Amino acid sequence: MPPSIHPVDLVTALRHKQLTPAIVFLTSRRACDEAMEAFDHAELVLPPVRQDAIGTALERVIAQYPSIAEHPLIPIVQRIGVAAHHAGHLPSWKIAIEELMRQGHLDAVFATTTLAAGVDFPARTVVITQSSIRKSRDFTDLTIGEVQQIAGRAGRRGKDHVGFAVITPSPYIDLSVLTKGLTGQPEAIDSQFTISYPMVLNLLKAHPHEHIQGILAKSFAQFQLNQRAELLERKLDLLHTQLEPFGPRVCTDWITQWQTFDHVRRHRPARHQTHRSESPEIAVRLPFLTPGRVVGLHKGRGIVLRQYRSKGQKNSMLTMLRPDGAVTECPVTSVREVYDRTYDCAEMATYPWCSAETFDRLSEQLEDLPPRLPILPILASSPVDTLPDAVVQSLGDFPCPTCSSRTACQKDFPTASRLRQEQQRHTKSIQALRASLWHRFQERVNVLQTFGYLTSTAQLTEDGEWARLIRIDHSLLITELIRAEAFTGADPSLLAGIMASLAHDDDRPGAFPRISAGLSSLLRQVRKLAESLAPHEDPPLLRADVAALAERWVAEPTLTWIGLCRLTTMAEGDIYRLLARTIEFLSQLQTLKGTHPSLADSAAEALTLIRRGVLEELP
Amino acid sequence: MTTDELERLLAQQPVALLHRLARGRVHRQFRAGKRRLIELLLQHSSHNRAGLESDLQALLEARQSQSASSAQRSQYPLPITRKKATPQTPVPALSEPAISLTGWLEGIGVPEPQPFVPDPWQTDALSALSEIDVVISVPTGSGKTYVAIEAARRAMEDNRTVIYTSPLKALSNTKYTEFSRLFGPDKVGILTGDRQEHSQAPLLIMTTEILRNLLYDAASGEIDVRLDTLGLVILDESQYIADRERGVVWEETIIFCPSQAKLLLLSASIGNPQDIADWLTSIRPTACRLVRHSKRTVPLRAGYLHPNGRLTPLFRTLGIPYGHPTHLHPEAKRLFLEYEEETLPSGRSRR
Ligand SMILES: Nc1ncnc2c1ncn2[C@@H]1O[C@H](COP(=O)(O)OP(=O)(O)OP(=O)(O)O)[C@@H](O)[C@H]1O
Ligand SMILES: [Mg+2]
Repeated sequence: MPPSIHPVDLVTALRHKQLTPAIVFLTSRRACDEAMEAFDHAELVLPPVRQDAIGTALERVIAQYPSIAEHPLIPIVQRIGVAAHHAGHLPSWKIAIEELMRQGHLDAVFATTTLAAGVDFPARTVVITQSSIRKSRDFTDLTIGEVQQIAGRAGRRGKDHVGFAVITPSPYIDLSVLTKGLTGQPEAIDSQFTISYPMVLNLLKAHPHEHIQGILAKSFAQFQLNQRAELLERKLDLLHTQLEPFGPRVCTDWITQWQTFDHVRRHRPARHQTHRSESPEIAVRLPFLTPGRVVGLHKGRGIVLRQYRSKGQKNSMLTMLRPDGAVTECPVTSVREVYDRTYDCAEMATYPWCSAETFDRLSEQLEDLPPRLPILPILASSPVDTLPDAVVQSLGDFPCPTCSSRTACQKDFPTASRLRQEQQRHTKSIQALRASLWHRFQERVNVLQTFGYLTSTAQLTEDGEWARLIRIDHSLLITELIRAEAFTGADPSLLAGIMASLAHDDDRPGAFPRISAGLSSLLRQVRKLAESLAPHEDPPLLRADVAALAERWVAEPTLTWIGLCRLTTMAEGDIYRLLARTIEFLSQLQTLKGTHPSLADSAAEALTLIRRGVLEELP
Repeated sequence: MTTDELERLLAQQPVALLHRLARGRVHRQFRAGKRRLIELLLQHSSHNRAGLESDLQALLEARQSQSASSAQRSQYPLPITRKKATPQTPVPALSEPAISLTGWLEGIGVPEPQPFVPDPWQTDALSALSEIDVVISVPTGSGKTYVAIEAARRAMEDNRTVIYTSPLKALSNTKYTEFSRLFGPDKVGILTGDRQEHSQAPLLIMTTEILRNLLYDAASGEIDVRLDTLGLVILDESQYIADRERGVVWEETIIFCPSQAKLLLLSASIGNPQDIADWLTSIRPTACRLVRHSKRTVPLRAGYLHPNGRLTPLFRTLGIPYGHPTHLHPEAKRLFLEYEEETLPSGRSRR
C-alpha cells in the first residue's frame, strides 16, 4: 500500500462521489507541486465545454495581470481542472486560481495550510492530509481552532447542502489531533503584547511619561493579567481566613519567632562552617554552569566542561576549556558572566571530561564566538524562608522555651508557616502581574536613554523625534545605522540590498547571484552593529544572498522578471514577497525627508526603480 | 534509574505521553510506534538522561493531579451553570449502528436559490452597532462580511468615514475589489505597506499596521482630518490578536481607536470571545456587545479516505459528534489501524 493516496486517484475518487470542488491541504509547497506533476499524463481530462470555460475565465484574469500568461501550470489547469496555490506563487497567480475556484471552474486545488487563514475561497470538500504544521522551524500539532479553520472551508453557503472534511492519511498524521479538532471547542486566545522601541517613542511623543502606565493598563494583556491576579486574590482571601486561627499569640509575629528559634535550636553553634557556604548569588548560578555553557572569566572566556566539589574547598569548582585548548580549574566565584549560549557537551568520567571529538569541536566553537554575547538573565531571588539578617543567634535570647503557648506554636508551626509562605508567594505574583507591563516599558525606556533617543526625563531627543518614524522590525538597528551614517552616499541599489536583508526572515536555503563588493562591505558593517545590539534587539538574518538579489533588481533596470527569477532558486512568490517587504522598509526611510533628505531621496529613487514589471502590475 | 527501569516505565505510558516527551528531543517522531519511540527517546537523550527522567516525572505528576482533580469533580458534582454552551448534536448511543456510506453521502448537491434574508445574528449585530461596539465570533463562512458591508454602508450614508482592516495583503486586495464593485470605485481606497490608491475615499481598506501608524500620528498631533469624521473601524480576522509577532498591533489599534468611532471586530470561533468583549467594555466609552454562535450554517460531515481509494464515514454519526472525539466509525478505525501497522517506521514495510 502506498504511504498516501496518489493525487490522480484522489481527484478521481472525489469526482466519482461528487465531492468536488475540493481544497486539498498538503504539508509543503513541494508536495503541492509534485501533485501537479502527477497530472502531466493523466487521463482524466475535462469535457471540452469546461476546458473552454476555464480558458475564457483565465483570459480575463490574464488581461489584468499579463505576468501569468505564460505560467507553466496553465495547460494542466485547463485540461484537468486542478491547480496548486501556495506561497511560492505570485499573488497574481493565486488571484487567478481563487477567481476560477469562486466561479466553480476547478475540481481541486492543492494548497498549503497558509491558505486556511483568511483567504476567501470555499469548496464543497476539504481534504486534510496532516495533523501538524511547520511553525518557524518546528512542526507543531494543529490546534482545535486551526483544524476548524481548515474544515471551515468546506460547504459553501448557498451552493452546498452539506460540506465534507475528508481525512486521508500521510506519514505525518496523528488521527486523534484531527478528531479532537473536529469535535472540540476552539482554544481560548491569549494576548501576545510586546513593547517595542517604536512603541515607546511614539507613546512618549504623544503622552507624558506619567500617563503611560494608564495607557498600558488598557491593553488586553493587562486585562488578562488582571484576571489572573484576581484569581490569586481570591486564593489570597481564602488563605487569609485559613490563617485566622493562627493569629497573634504571646508574640504578635509568632510564626517568624518560632521559625528563628527552631532554626537556631537545630543548628546549634556549628563548629566548622567551612563547606557549602556559597552566597545566594553564586548558588543561583550553579544550575546554569553545566557542561557546554559559555562563561566570561576575569580574563577571556571559557566553556564549562564539568562542575564539581572538592574537599576542603569552600566553593564549587569548574573545569574550564580555555582558548587554545587549555584546560583549567577555577572556583565558581571567578565566573563573571554567564552567557546565554551553550553547546552540546556530553560529560564523561575522565579527563578532559568529554570525548575527544567534542573537545575539538568545543575548542573551535570557542574561537568562533562573536565579540558580544547575550548575557543570561539569572534572577538572584532571595528565597522566602531565609532568615532575617540581624537575628540574635543565641538560644538564651528567645522567650520560647518557657512561653505558655510553646506547645501550640510547636504544633501549628508547619501548617501556619506553609500557609504564610503561600500567602507571600501569591502577594508577590500579584504585584508582578499588575506591574509587569510597566516594568517592561521601563526597561525599553532605559535602553533608549542609553542610546540617546530619550532624555533622562524620558523626553524625545532630536534623534528620538525622527527615530519614532521607523516602525518596522529591527528599528533600533536601522536607526543606529542611520546615526552611524552607514548609508551616507549609498546608492539606491545598495540601500535596497540592505533593506532586503533586514526584511527577509526566511532561512530557506537557495542559490543566488553574486554580491557586489560595495554591498558586501556595507553588509559586514551592518552585521557588526547588529551583533553589538544583540542584547537589546534580536539580530536579523542579514542574508547576503537575498540582499544581492534585491540589489541586482534595482541596479539593472533592464533586467526582466523572468531574468531575475533565473538568477536564483528562490520561488517566484518568495522573490515577490521579498521585494514587497523591501518596498515597505524603503518607504519608512522615505518618511525621514525632513531630517535626512539625501537618505530619503535615495530611498525614493530605489522605490521608483523597484516598482516595475510584476511589482507594478500587482495589487 | 537504570536504563532498564526507565525503559520499563516508558513502556507503561500511553503513546500520547511519549509523544509529548519526544517533542523537541526527537526530530520527525510524528508516526513512530511506541517501541520505536522509546528507542528514539533513549537514544536522543543519552547525553541528558536526567532531563528526560525529570520531564517524565513532571508529566506523570501532572497527569496524576489531573486525574485526581477530575475524580474529585465527579465525586462532588458542582452545580453546572453553562451546560448548554455547546450545541451538542444528539449522539446516538454506541450500541446504535454506525452510519452507512450511502447515508453519509446522501443530500450532496446545490440548494435552490433563495432570496437573501439576513440571519438573526446578523441583524442583531447591525442594530447593536448603531449604538455600541460589537465583537462577532462565529464559524468560518457564516457571513461576517455581510455585517461589515451593511455597517459600512450605513456609516457612509451618515457621512462618516469607515476603515476596514485585514491582517493579510491578499485579503485586503480581495476586499478592495469586492467593495469597489459594491460601492463604486471612487468610494473605496486602499493603503498597504507598498500600495496607496484613492487615499481620500470614505471607505479605506488597509492592513492593521497602517492603521496603527495612522493612530500614532494622530495622537502626536500630526492630525489626519479623516479621523475626525471616522465613524466605524472594522477589524476582520481579529483572532490575529493572538498572533505571536503581530498581535500587539491589534491591541494598540483598539486602545488608540478614536472614541467617537464604533469598533466592529470580526473573528472566527475562539474559545474566549467574552473576554475580548469584556475587555472592550472596560476600556471603551460604551459597552460592547458580543455576538457569538458556534453552529455552522452549512452542516459538516467528516470522512476517511484510505490510500487504496476506499471512502468511509469518519464518525459513527452523520454529523460531527461534538464533544466525542472517540466515536469513530468502526470501518474508519479498522482501516486507520491497518495503515498505522503498515507504515510504522520500524515495520520496514516501505521506504
Ligand atoms: N444571511 C445569509 N443568507 C445566505 N447567504 C449568506 C448570508 N450571509 C452571508 N451569506 C453568504 O455566505 C458566504 C460566506 O460569507 P463570508 O465570506 O462573509 O463568511 P465569513 O464569516 O467572513 O467567513 P470567513 O471566516 O471565511 O471570513 C458568502 O457567500 C455570503 O454571500
Ligand atoms: Mg471573512
